[in-house]
Amino acid sequence: MSRMRLLGVRTRRRVGVNILMILIVVVLVMPLWYVLNNAFKIEREILLRPLLLRPSAATIDNLVRAFKAMKYPLTFMNSVITLVLSCTLLIALGSLAAFGIAMARSRFFNTVYVVLVAMITLPFQLAMVPLIFLLKGMKLTNTYLGLALVYAGWFMPFVIFLYTGFIRTVPRELEEAARVDGCGLLRSFLSIYIPLLKSITGTVLILRGVPIWNDLLVPIITISRSTMSTLPLVLYSFIGTPGSRAIQWSLVFGSTFIASLPIVLVFLFLQRYFVRGVVAGAIKG
Amino acid sequence: MPGAVFSQARRRQIACLLFTIPALAVVGLFFLFPMLRALVLSFTSWDGIARTWQWVGLKNFKAVVTDSTFRQISFNTVYLAIIYVPVLNVIALLLAVAVYNAGKAGNLYKAMLFFPNLLSMTVIAMIWSIIYRYDGILNQFLKAVGLKALMQDWLGQIRTVLPAMSVTIIWFAVGYYLLIYLAGLNTVPVEIYESAEVEGVSPWQKLTRITIPLIAPAITINAVLSTIGIITLFDLPFVLTRGGPGFKSQTIAMHVYAYAYQQLRTRYALALAVILGVFAVLITTVLLAFLRRREEAAQ
Repeated sequence: MSRMRLLGVRTRRRVGVNILMILIVVVLVMPLWYVLNNAFKIEREILLRPLLLRPSAATIDNLVRAFKAMKYPLTFMNSVITLVLSCTLLIALGSLAAFGIAMARSRFFNTVYVVLVAMITLPFQLAMVPLIFLLKGMKLTNTYLGLALVYAGWFMPFVIFLYTGFIRTVPRELEEAARVDGCGLLRSFLSIYIPLLKSITGTVLILRGVPIWNDLLVPIITISRSTMSTLPLVLYSFIGTPGSRAIQWSLVFGSTFIASLPIVLVFLFLQRYFVRGVVAGAIKG
Repeated sequence: MPGAVFSQARRRQIACLLFTIPALAVVGLFFLFPMLRALVLSFTSWDGIARTWQWVGLKNFKAVVTDSTFRQISFNTVYLAIIYVPVLNVIALLLAVAVYNAGKAGNLYKAMLFFPNLLSMTVIAMIWSIIYRYDGILNQFLKAVGLKALMQDWLGQIRTVLPAMSVTIIWFAVGYYLLIYLAGLNTVPVEIYESAEVEGVSPWQKLTRITIPLIAPAITINAVLSTIGIITLFDLPFVLTRGGPGFKSQTIAMHVYAYAYQQLRTRYALALAVILGVFAVLITTVLLAFLRRREEAAQ
C-alpha cells in the first residue's frame, strides 16, 4: 500500500471511529441526562417529556425540596467528616507503615507485606458480622470514628500496598545520604519522603476516597441514628419499600442530583488526576 | 566496632516495626480479627446474643447449603459473574481500542465513559430502577420506536431481572476498566501498529495478534478485579432490586446481609460469609495462575 493511500485509510477510519464513539457516548450518557434535566423541571413535565427540558417548565423547586428533605447541610457534613477522618487514618498510618516495610527489608517485614497484599481481595462481608459486634462493644456505632475505623481497616492493606510499591521505586541512596548526615528514619520520612509521596497520595485519595464517599454498606450497618446519616444512606431511605410504586419523582431527581453534585464538581476540576490515579493504582495492582 | 553497627541496624529494625504497628493494629483489630472470628464462630452455635456457645462442626454450613434459597443465590452469583466478566471486558477492551484510535476527542470520550464511576451506586441504582419501570423511559422508548411487544417490567420479572441488572452494572463499571485497557494500549509501541498497517494487516488481526497478546497484563488485572468486584458487589443490586422478585436477583454477598440484618440468623450469615470468602480466594488464585500462564505463553 502506498503511503498516500495509507493516510487516506487512516483518516477515514478515524472519522468512522469518531462517529461510532459519539453514538455510543450519547446512548451511555442518556441516563445521566435523564436525571440532570428532570432535576430542573416540574413534576407533570417529568412524566410527559422525560428527556426534554423546556424553559417554560423549568424550576429549582425540586432541588430546594430535596435540600430540605435530605437535611443537606447536616448530611453533607457527616459525609465530609467521615471521608476526612477515614482518609487521614489511611494516609497517615498507611504511608508510615509502608515506609517501615520498605526500609526494613527483612524477611519478617516481607512476610507482613505478603499477608497484607493477600488480604486485598478478601470480601468485606467475611468480617462484617463480628466487626459490627465489636463496634457495638466499643460503643463506636453511630460515630464518625467507628465508620472511619471500619474503612481504615478494610482499605489499609491496599493503601500500604500502593505506598510500599511507590517507596520502593525511590532510590535508596536518598535515605542513606540522609543517614550519613545524621538524619534518623523518622526525620527522613517526615522531611524527605513525605514531599515525594504527593502524587501517590492523590492516587490513594481517588481510589479509596471516592468509594468511601459513595459507600452505602458500612453506613447501613453501623448508623441507625438519622442525624448521623451520610449522603448515600439518606438517598437510600428515600426509596420506597419494595413493591410500593408510588414515587415522588421530583424528590428522587432532585436528591440524586444534589447528592452527586459535590463529587462531580471535584471531578471537573481534577479530571486529569482521576484518570491518572485509576491507572496508577491498577498497574501496580 | 561490629557491636555498634549491629545495634544501629537493630535500632533501625525496631524503628521500622514501630512505624508499622499503628496501621497493623487498625487492620488487625478492625479487619483481620473479625474475619478470623467469623471463621471460628461459623463452626459454633453462637447466635450473636448468648454469651456461651459450643462447637457444632459443619452444622451451620449444612443448614446454609440446604436452605431453600442457596441454590438460587449461588446460581445468581455465578450467572452474574459468567455474563458480566466476559461481556464487560470485551466491551471495555473494544471501547478502549476505539478511544485509542479516536484522536483528540479520545480524552472527552474517556471522561464521559468514566463518569458513572464517580457516582454513588445508590444513585446509579435509583436512576436505573426508574428507567426500568413499566411506565419508565425504556418502555416509553420501545413504544415510540414501534416495539410495543417488548414493553415489560424489567426488574419485576424473573426472566429479565438478571440481564437488566447486568446491563446496569456494566454501564456503571465499563469506564473504569476502559481506563486500565487504555493504559495497557499506551504501552504498545506505535511502530508495531504502523508496520502492521503497511503490511496490510486487517483490524481484526491487529486486535487478536498484536493488541491482545501485548496487553495481556491489563487483561489479567481486569479479569481478577471484575470477578472479585461482581461476587462481592452489594450496594448496586441491593438498592436496584433488593434481591427481588423473591430471591431471583439475590446474590451470595447480599444474602450475608439478609441473614445477618433482615432475618437475624447470625450463624447462617457467618457460614455464608465464610463460603463467600473461600469462593473469592479460590477464584483469585485460579484466575491468577491461569492468566499468568497465558501471559508467559504469549511472550
